[in-house]
Amino acid sequence: MRRLIASGSRQGNILAIALATLVVAYLAWKVTESPSQSVQFAFNGLSVGAVYALLAMGFTLVYSTVWFFDLYYGAAAAIGAYSVFYLRSKEAIGGLYQVQNPVVNVLFAAVVAGVVAWALYEILWPRLRGRVSQRGMYGIVAAAGAAAGVYSGLVFTYTDNIHLLFGPVAGLAIGVIVALGVREALQRLTGDEGGRVAAYVSAAVGMAVAVVAAALIAGTPETKLYLSWAVSCLLAGCVGLGIYRGLYVTLRQRARSPLVMLVASMGILLAISAAITIVFESAPRPLPDAFGSRPLEIAGGNIKGFNFFTVGVSLVGFAGLLWLLQRTSFGRSVRAIGDDEDVSKVVGINTTVVIAIVFFIGAVFAAMAGILSGHDTAIQPRMGLLLLLKGWIASVVGGIGNLYGALVGGFALGMVEQFGIWDLAGEWKDVISFVVLILFLSFWPKGLLPRK
Amino acid sequence: MATNTPETTEEGRRPGLIPRLANGNVELWANLIVLVWVIAFVLWQGVGFAITIGTVFAIWAILAVSLNLVIGFTGLLSVAHIGFFGIGAYSVAILTSKTDYSLLRTEGIPTYELPFFAALPVGIALAGLTALVVGVVFNRFRDDVFVLVSFGFAIISFNLFLNARAITRGAFGIHDVARPVIGTRVLDGELEFLVMALVCLALVSALAWFIVTSSFGRVLTAIREDEQAASVFGYQVTHYKLAIWVISAMMAAVAGGLFSSWTSFIDPNSFILLESILLVSIVILGGLATIWGSLLGAMTFVLLEEGMRFIPFLPDVYVGQARQVVLGVMLVLLMLFRPQGLLGRYRL
Amino acid sequence: MTQVPARDAEHYALGTVGVSKNFGGVQALHRLSISIPKGQITCVIGPNGSGKSTLINILSGVLPMDSGMVIVDGVGLRTVHPYETPDLGITRTFQDVRLFNQISVMDNIMVVLTERKLWPSLFQRSKSEHRQRAEQVLRDVGMWDKRDAMAEDLSYGQRKLLEMARAMALDVNIYLFDEPFAGLFPQMLVRVKDILKQLRAREKSILFISHNMEIVRELSDHLIVMDSGELLVEGDVDEVLAKQEVIEAYLGA
Repeated sequence: MRRLIASGSRQGNILAIALATLVVAYLAWKVTESPSQSVQFAFNGLSVGAVYALLAMGFTLVYSTVWFFDLYYGAAAAIGAYSVFYLRSKEAIGGLYQVQNPVVNVLFAAVVAGVVAWALYEILWPRLRGRVSQRGMYGIVAAAGAAAGVYSGLVFTYTDNIHLLFGPVAGLAIGVIVALGVREALQRLTGDEGGRVAAYVSAAVGMAVAVVAAALIAGTPETKLYLSWAVSCLLAGCVGLGIYRGLYVTLRQRARSPLVMLVASMGILLAISAAITIVFESAPRPLPDAFGSRPLEIAGGNIKGFNFFTVGVSLVGFAGLLWLLQRTSFGRSVRAIGDDEDVSKVVGINTTVVIAIVFFIGAVFAAMAGILSGHDTAIQPRMGLLLLLKGWIASVVGGIGNLYGALVGGFALGMVEQFGIWDLAGEWKDVISFVVLILFLSFWPKGLLPRK
Repeated sequence: MATNTPETTEEGRRPGLIPRLANGNVELWANLIVLVWVIAFVLWQGVGFAITIGTVFAIWAILAVSLNLVIGFTGLLSVAHIGFFGIGAYSVAILTSKTDYSLLRTEGIPTYELPFFAALPVGIALAGLTALVVGVVFNRFRDDVFVLVSFGFAIISFNLFLNARAITRGAFGIHDVARPVIGTRVLDGELEFLVMALVCLALVSALAWFIVTSSFGRVLTAIREDEQAASVFGYQVTHYKLAIWVISAMMAAVAGGLFSSWTSFIDPNSFILLESILLVSIVILGGLATIWGSLLGAMTFVLLEEGMRFIPFLPDVYVGQARQVVLGVMLVLLMLFRPQGLLGRYRL
Repeated sequence: MTQVPARDAEHYALGTVGVSKNFGGVQALHRLSISIPKGQITCVIGPNGSGKSTLINILSGVLPMDSGMVIVDGVGLRTVHPYETPDLGITRTFQDVRLFNQISVMDNIMVVLTERKLWPSLFQRSKSEHRQRAEQVLRDVGMWDKRDAMAEDLSYGQRKLLEMARAMALDVNIYLFDEPFAGLFPQMLVRVKDILKQLRAREKSILFISHNMEIVRELSDHLIVMDSGELLVEGDVDEVLAKQEVIEAYLGA
């Protein structure tokens, strides 16, 4: 592989160890000096670190598959956060900044329609080839895409009734996941691969769960915010997938270096953040409260329920991604593509589809991180770039291309940032992050947990 | 991809202007369109506004030319230049400002009241020194990692401008930045300042031209293509990269000094990361490894904002944003069809 | 920089003493000691992965050695910086032809001819003597009519030739060629052979890597056989090729 960075020297190692010792000594001194305050800083570090970890996971997943830095990733975070704001603008601070824009709705609907049509085509065509004519296939796909477009347009237009409109879909999704889980469990228990009983039982359980869940969600208007999160993540994912399929596939065939991809994605980031400013104006906006804002007091430090949730999301995201990458055939394909894309193509992996899904997942992670950090502070059209850079730094700190590294790096960066501003003021936290980055690149270019 | 228009016919003569245009020669078309655009703009908006726009152009063009030395000729995709621009701007602002802070309620900073031409060299030297230190650290990084650390420098310098309130007054900004004085004549008028900015642009461009046509320039292109091979032929590539990095940073500081003197007020908002990304897109749009291209890119960028006013139903507040959307789309299209930019000599 | 007296400084242009190189646990070179006679063509043969390219990379300073010493003209060097090699009288080509792709053929040659020091190079324009030398080099390899083409637009054979021309533009004593004959058409082969012979006629010392035994027999005076990072045998080409172990380890396989 191309050597990205010159490796550190012997003197560099000594210097690095000295530096690390200094940091640990400083921390120890701080903690003994004021234990309760250090608990508070640790809580802050955890909740910030959880967001960084989420960002780093998605970033490292995309990077270690296609080996170029995709700056759209930052825009995905902004899209996610702003989409929540768009869907819930009536509830945020009493509907002071209501947004409802038909152009935006149509645009989003078009993206969803395109992605659904493409996905259906990729799924159905290999199975129906020979039975349906090419033209007939296009017809089916176009109709399904149009239906999905109209549906998502409705979701975006009637944001107040999102629980009625999107609830059934969410219920269905839950049902499918439960059904798959049940089938997996039954097959493990009986040792009967592809057995009929397992299939019937799991289908029945799944359907029941789906119906109940759909009814419950549709009947509870309080779920609107959480449904908006799901819609926003899906939307950011769809945009990411669309950009990959519509642009990056062609561009990667022509590009001579990863820098071409980087510049192109920089263009996308520029365009999307400017478009967000045009629709939402550039002032910072709050997102509505999630889970109330009264903090809990633990060991002398205050922490909001939402911050626990943030940490939980990043851990669940990590577990899910780990399972996906290590236990499924999809994960094997992703790793194969990361090792050698051309060989993967030759051995029959549909690289375009696999990478498209990787981009979808990456964008979903970015959007989730954007939403969580938006709830924690506020959202701004330029937030994407900074979040992207933090995710980038966290994955370098953790060891780029390593999922465990992304988790560790994210939390480590969050902690360092928060403890770093103890004696400095809060506005220096970005400086601290970049100093950490430059130190890591100089002394430990492979990060804390290097990719094997 | 490059257009495959033959530059010379079989007899070895260059074909005439019209045939080359008819063949779709992108470079000629780009020059022609921008020229027509400039003329149309001057006729439409009047000379007065054209002078203002001209000054903006000169400042962006100095930045673009200096950045092209780094990106186009040396192959280091840097987003850091806004930091050096800011160092130049703040140096001139702090050293020349005459604001009496006792009248203002906000916190003050020391005033030095130096003339512009004494402050500018200080700014240039400071930018050069910073670049030297930063360059020593950055020299080992390449490609995407270099982009990341240069992002870092841009953000760190922005945070310094914003948070080192004892020096920069943070978000309050610095007022009353002095205009240049030549002899006893204060360059107060817009036209006079434009002339001075253009003279600076000419000097910077000439210097850049001198550099890239020398043996030094050829070595830079060799380093861009293959650092290791260049070093095997006897060049200490780190020294060369450091030298062009420092020179380029000093040029950016010139632009910064002009900018702060021209607007007479600066605050950190002029030095955000976004401006740096816009600058990179100007350089790529105009063309990599060509000085004329950078001038053209800066002109396009400046005129694009005015062009945006033709879009129906677009409120004036969003003209800048609309330009950003167009630039972003242009970057994508360029990467697809012409990765060297309009007049470029080097493809990323 | 340690200086030690080397054996036979007047006969040998270049050599290594106990050079080792490790790549993350893989021993690429293990205590390799070889010598390259002055004014002769030396060939290195050995199976893939036997450390031939690593040897050239260490001799030209592209890779640092873990231990051992490189001996140039009787002077032992513990470290070789790549930018020192022209002063040491060494130049090289690369296995995966590495030209300065997006500049012209002429400039590819000019780069090697012009001022090495940073400050003077800023004030140096293309001098006519450099142009003449570049023209002569390009005419020698028959590429003068391609002088304005971009290096990346050349065919593989032309690129290979240009890379050799770029090395030859430097008037040094030792030329290291990493697989100069790989992937060439017969006509090109003849041309490259001629280049090597011309260099020998000018009393230059040459080291090249090849897998083509016919060429090795035809051209080389001195032969080095390597296997998994170690020297198998070294000596006069006819003697070495007659040895049983060489035939078994390399030729017979």
